[in-house]
Amino acid sequence: MEVISSVLKFIVNNSSRIMEYTGNHLSLVLTVLVFSLILWIWVGLLISKYDRFANSVIGLANILFVIPSISLFGLFVTIPQLGLGRKSAALALIIYAMMPLVRSVYRGVKSVDPWVIDAGKGMGLSPAQILYQIQIPMAWPVVFAGIRVAVVMITGMATVATFIGERNLGRLIHHGITRGSAEMIIAGAVVVSVIALMLDYIMGLLEKKVTSPGLRHRSEDY
Amino acid sequence: MNFELERFLEAMFERSPPFILEHLQLVLIPLGIAVAIAFPVGVLLTRPRFRHYTGRVMSIFNAGQTIPPLAVIAVFFPFLGLGYRPAVIALTIYALLPIARNTLAGLAGVPLEVKDAARGMGMTEWQILSQVELPISLPVVMSGIKTSAVLTAGTAALAALVGGKGMGAVIFAGINFFRMELILAGTIYIGIIAVLLDRLLTYIEGCMAPSYMK
Amino acid sequence: MLEKLIQLHQIKKVFPNTNIPAVDEITFSIEKGNICVFVGPSGCGKTTILRMINRLVEPTSGNIFIDGENVLNVDSDELRRRIGYVIQQIGLLPHRTIEQNVGLVPRLLKWPEAKITQRVVELLEIVGLDPAESAKKYPYQLSGGQMQRVGVARALAADPPIMLMDEPFGAVDPIVRGRLQDEFLRLQQEVKKTICFVTHDINEAIKMGDYIVVMNGGKLVQQGTPMEVLSNPVNHFVKDLIGDDRGVKLLDLTRAESLMTAVTESPAAANDCFCFIDAIQPVKMALEVMMKNDSDMVGIRRGKNVVGTLSWADIKKHIHKISGDQE
Repeated sequence: MEVISSVLKFIVNNSSRIMEYTGNHLSLVLTVLVFSLILWIWVGLLISKYDRFANSVIGLANILFVIPSISLFGLFVTIPQLGLGRKSAALALIIYAMMPLVRSVYRGVKSVDPWVIDAGKGMGLSPAQILYQIQIPMAWPVVFAGIRVAVVMITGMATVATFIGERNLGRLIHHGITRGSAEMIIAGAVVVSVIALMLDYIMGLLEKKVTSPGLRHRSEDY
Repeated sequence: MNFELERFLEAMFERSPPFILEHLQLVLIPLGIAVAIAFPVGVLLTRPRFRHYTGRVMSIFNAGQTIPPLAVIAVFFPFLGLGYRPAVIALTIYALLPIARNTLAGLAGVPLEVKDAARGMGMTEWQILSQVELPISLPVVMSGIKTSAVLTAGTAALAALVGGKGMGAVIFAGINFFRMELILAGTIYIGIIAVLLDRLLTYIEGCMAPSYMK
Repeated sequence: MLEKLIQLHQIKKVFPNTNIPAVDEITFSIEKGNICVFVGPSGCGKTTILRMINRLVEPTSGNIFIDGENVLNVDSDELRRRIGYVIQQIGLLPHRTIEQNVGLVPRLLKWPEAKITQRVVELLEIVGLDPAESAKKYPYQLSGGQMQRVGVARALAADPPIMLMDEPFGAVDPIVRGRLQDEFLRLQQEVKKTICFVTHDINEAIKMGDYIVVMNGGKLVQQGTPMEVLSNPVNHFVKDLIGDDRGVKLLDLTRAESLMTAVTESPAAANDCFCFIDAIQPVKMALEVMMKNDSDMVGIRRGKNVVGTLSWADIKKHIHKISGDQE
């Protein structure tokens, strides 16, 4: 288990650099997450209201999602207004987040039992009240699953942004490859994975907080 | 940088085509191996003997998916060196998870009462698996394979980093030399490969479903 | 003269992309405090009528008046908050507790919290649920019958004068359904709501209805009290719907009050009675009690008051009337 000890040694010896990379990594992920949530949840809600656009928007999200991350980063870099660095990286990641977020919001809202909505209408809830008091809270579990997928994905894909000048954990992997250094690669991979797992865990806790117990236990009932 | 049609056409029809076959290999071989490993494992893990592990294995699989693709690609390189082989191994591992996950989820999602009815009619465990569980879970299993195929097609672009060549070589050349047309050409081919694979798998699913139902 | 609370005037509904009207020029009215049951096969338009009253469906033509006011002139959300709504699927909000579900409309109407809490407790008791035990529960923790009770409590919450009930007891097993029907009739004695009740089950219609509207293919086929419909079906459709056991249905389902001689008509008879049944109990209970007490007359009570009498001769007369044209 020489590898483990040399990886640990590498992490200890380079802790300040790793901290810097981690900081950059997290700030990129969080920036992307904030913009993505604002943008894509809104788009998801819009297409669940205006159903005729749903297929084309989700189709577009799927197509964008298939583009390899390295390509999208690369293409944005060549656009002068974006250039090397954070703007391109963030924009590309926001575009990737579209698929899981828009789709989960749409699915979540659509998965709400139509009879609950009918009962709500029948009791005199306004369309806005139906959205905020019925559709959104009931869609939460599905939406949250999508958010978790997006967070993990953004964290992983952010590593690739190192090729367009982001100084984040991907750089450890990138430089590890060019220098043929196993401990650098493994250290990078481990730290990124740990961050992804931690973010996923935090989101899981958050999910429990915002999801009504009435929905959480529903599946256990059967 | 300016985009010129002539250079784009050159990239599309002269620079990129030699890499198509390589890229296809980088996708199909890992995918094939991944199906061969993950599908039986998924089936095995839903058998009565192992069923109580299903939940735990699922969460391991989910955790596995948090490892970034770049990390998976890079991790094998120090041990196996540069080249095609480490790239294939890395991509195989990357392709495993969605398939195993969906096989597990698909089989676990078969309604208990349906299996019960089959058992009640005197079907053996093997008959239940082949005639009840697999046909019912086929769409879920296939969607796992499709997800894997599309993800692998994209991730294979990173294989060029560890000497695995493929369309990634064109894209990285584009990034290094700031040549948009190369990135675009490489991406278009990867997109075509991904879409065609998805179609092919959908077609195969269509062929399998009715014959299963007979 | 009883007040007509809900009036429908030449109501017609043609759904988009269809030619045949789902409801075809129907005119009738519902008296205050009555249960009016719409009965007919699925697709006959009964649910559509119900949903037009609270404007979940807008009529193609015609007008609906509630208390003399055209519903089209009222804001639809305001209107619905004044009308209780119960459906077969119940539609409890799964992410809210029972307490929150029942308090939904009062909260929409911005009642003070203390009043809502008090009202919820009161309602849960009325529908036969223990508030202490069930208030904090979530819908998934209740049985089907309990959920239906919560559905009724929720509809009653803001004390609306009108209730719309679409197969409200359709999702539970026959034993629970029977119990819920009985309890609901008992409750109705106290709350005296004006109720539109939709069902495909003629037995339920006879049992629950003060007034029955038989529908088929969007058209009104027959309307009248359960007695009128039972004794005088206008055509084969209604005859088939009722079945051959009209006498048994009369005994089994018709409420004693619908056959009784009111105490105002013959006050002397009431004084002779020494055995009594409840007004909402079926006629067969009257027979049962008569046999047990070796009497040929029972008194009909509503609460503590004797409101009428029912004699063996009365019952026989009605059965004869019913089977009269059957031969």
